[in-house]
Amino acid sequence: MKNRLKVLRAERDWSQQHLADLLEVSRQSVNAIETGRYDPSLPLAFKIADVFEMTIEEIFQRD
Amino acid sequence: MNGETTPSTGRGPAFWAGLYLANVAVIGALKLGGAINGPTGFILMALACVLLVPMIRAQAKSGCSSEALRLYNKRVVVSSIGYVLGLGIAITLWRNYEVTGPVLFGLAMLPALPTLGIIWAMGRYLVDEKDEYLRHRTIMGALFGLGVVLTLGIFYGFLETFELVPHIWAWWVLPVWAVGLGIGQLWQRVREQ
Repeated sequence: MKNRLKVLRAERDWSQQHLADLLEVSRQSVNAIETGRYDPSLPLAFKIADVFEMTIEEIFQRD
Repeated sequence: MNGETTPSTGRGPAFWAGLYLANVAVIGALKLGGAINGPTGFILMALACVLLVPMIRAQAKSGCSSEALRLYNKRVVVSSIGYVLGLGIAITLWRNYEVTGPVLFGLAMLPALPTLGIIWAMGRYLVDEKDEYLRHRTIMGALFGLGVVLTLGIFYGFLETFELVPHIWAWWVLPVWAVGLGIGQLWQRVREQ
């Protein structure tokens, strides 16, 4: 699964740690999701979508 | 005292883990070389576990651990100290006294029960960990450790069946699994860099 997390984060000038704090997860989690090494669960994907005020489909796409 | 100085010296968890392993290696070498006797070795091993306390503190300070991981580390350190002390007491009493029956069973449980504490701590960590990626990483590491145990167990077991190698005690599964867990987690951390 591909995602636009890194781009969206850069647009807002957020650090990985800041995004991690907003999501209440570790920085390693944000890093793993951004680099495509880990696909988040549906609840976390919804949380990410809420933080960016977007839909899940706008952030995550199929490979 | 060491734990208090950790933040100011900037020593990370790897430093304390390395220092602990170096201590264990030195104590093991002294024991194998006959420089110290069994009880002294066990006491030194238990004292060496104290080095894991600043390691946990440094880990928490580095922001690389969750509250659940901090609790897990604390539980493992307490269980490890209990294990080393239990093993030392049990072996010393077993070698020096004619212990039989239920008392002998109780002696055998002295190192076994704290070891179960380590297994309980791992299970508890997986329940407590709220960060799904950290939980996933630990589960993958644990599965890697399980793979190592099963592979070595089957390989060595058949060698032992055909009397090609000496017998080894079944409790070795936990240290072997723990080493596998460590390697599995280390590999994932290297991939994160």
